[in-house]
Amino acid sequence: MNYVIIGGSAAGVTACETIRKHNKKSSITLISDEKFPLYSRCLLTYLIAGTIGEDKLCFKDKNFYKENDIKTYLGKKAVSVDRKERRVSLEGGTKISYDKLLIATGATPKSVDVPGVDKKGVLTVRKIDDARAIMNMLDNVKEIAVLGGGLIGLRDAYALRQRDKKVTVIVKSPQVLSQMVDMDAARVIASVLEKNGIKIMTGVAAKEIAGDKSVESILLDNGERLACQLVIIGKGVKPNTELASSAGLKVEDGIVVNEFLQTSDKNIFAAGDVAETYDIARESGRINALWPCAVEQGGIAALNMLGKKKTYDGSLSMNSVDFFGLASISMGITKPTLQLRSGSVVSEVEPPKEEKKYEIISRTGENLYKKFVLKDNKIVGMVLVGDIKTAGIVSALIKNKIDVSSIKDILLDDDFNYAKIMPLVKKFGDKFGQEEFNDTVITY
Amino acid sequence: MKIKVKKPDVKIYCDITKCVGCHSCEIACAVEHSKSKNIFSAVKEKPFPKKRVKAEHINGKIISLHCQHCEDAPCVKACMSGALSKDEKTKGTLLDKDKCVGCWMCVMTCPFGAIVRDIENHVAVKCDLCPDRDDYACVVACPTGALFAGTKEEFEKKIKGRKK
Repeated sequence: MNYVIIGGSAAGVTACETIRKHNKKSSITLISDEKFPLYSRCLLTYLIAGTIGEDKLCFKDKNFYKENDIKTYLGKKAVSVDRKERRVSLEGGTKISYDKLLIATGATPKSVDVPGVDKKGVLTVRKIDDARAIMNMLDNVKEIAVLGGGLIGLRDAYALRQRDKKVTVIVKSPQVLSQMVDMDAARVIASVLEKNGIKIMTGVAAKEIAGDKSVESILLDNGERLACQLVIIGKGVKPNTELASSAGLKVEDGIVVNEFLQTSDKNIFAAGDVAETYDIARESGRINALWPCAVEQGGIAALNMLGKKKTYDGSLSMNSVDFFGLASISMGITKPTLQLRSGSVVSEVEPPKEEKKYEIISRTGENLYKKFVLKDNKIVGMVLVGDIKTAGIVSALIKNKIDVSSIKDILLDDDFNYAKIMPLVKKFGDKFGQEEFNDTVITY
Repeated sequence: MKIKVKKPDVKIYCDITKCVGCHSCEIACAVEHSKSKNIFSAVKEKPFPKKRVKAEHINGKIISLHCQHCEDAPCVKACMSGALSKDEKTKGTLLDKDKCVGCWMCVMTCPFGAIVRDIENHVAVKCDLCPDRDDYACVVACPTGALFAGTKEEFEKKIKGRKK
């Protein structure tokens, strides 16, 4: 059996590891268009911030490929898939045969349609080369404009502020993190960012990036001009679906997969930021381009490639950020009145009647915000700012669709903890899906 | 640091019928994870030693809750820095604090709320099954015998014996 995996990040590497764990003999080949192996993309902003060095960038041991007997093509881009011959072609003409193929090609940063975007000093943060380019520039940079007030933009801004740069975040929406949290939570997070020297401008967009050869300033649509020597575009990502589309696989927002993470070709699977999977909270297809989802999908796709029928329960959008010690976590549907589709706000409309069934409970305090979104007495979304200790417990309640009517009144309490859901664990037992839940209530 | 190799599949179980919520496990845990490993010096240490266990209650029932060292651990899958991993021999879920960047993805996914933030050091902390000793600090400290270190089968056997 020949297993071929395209993509060397969370999903691809987990797939390699899982296949090898169950099958010592088969050939495994990994293709990645990046030369630097096994690094964690999510750590790049920590690298830029100076919190870690390149030596801490890997999420697996550097001998991982060798130890697991995985043949690698690093720095080589897969350009086409011949489904009839079951062959992947690489740049330069190399052809690799497969019996089972995993497409985990990830995503690419979205750009902006602004004049001057091609100037020197306009960058995104996705690959290690991007991070190195930014770090090489830092000595000559005083002022930085970050386009995008979402998770990516803010993480970039936070990293650069830790390098003592003057950072301004340009946000088109009326609030930061508009796809992750509501206005109330955004206000708490933005105020901490601003207190720590990051300037946030909401409701404005870049009109032009100006400069001779490299960036010197940015013109905003409110007429204001900001001096800056570096512009970071932190606008989110789009899935790398070209390979799958050109091979004739079914692609919508991302590569469409079934519950076995199989594409429209039974020998080809997809996982990670490129895959459109079932979203547990939204009960529809969605790309949840997140590290934990990619790891889980890579593992499950691998099991199905091995012929062990393993169902993927679905993905759940979840994000964790920590800015200047203020931790925030969001999960599932956090703004039920917005029509969210694959991470992009399509329209802000009056919710249809059906959506009014959502129940919202929330609490605010100093540097604190907690909100739970319920539907039919089940939690479908959550925002926690400041106090995040119960996030994981709630994630289990969301994922397993547990009826929480009996604990609804204490969800917001400061001392809400695992013990509070033990009666539910005792009652619903196996619905929690993980054997370890039962272990805690043996003597309950 | 020399890590003692321990028996596989062992985790800490709590007999809820015996736990009185005295917090001795929490204190012993914090002391074990202090620099001095001595309660009188530990209270003066900075940063303050952190406990990895918590006595929690509901409806008059109390549990001393620890990391469950899940077989298919959500925290390991969520860890984007490679700090969390499964020990192949002991099946324990281990955290390498030198690799942890404090992104709290583990806090976000631990269904037991058993991983907490060490805010001063900006790293996650969790039960590490006491790598510096042969036994388990919390179990030794438990005055009612509610805590038990062993496999699930061993714990169930112990419980059965107790009921008779």
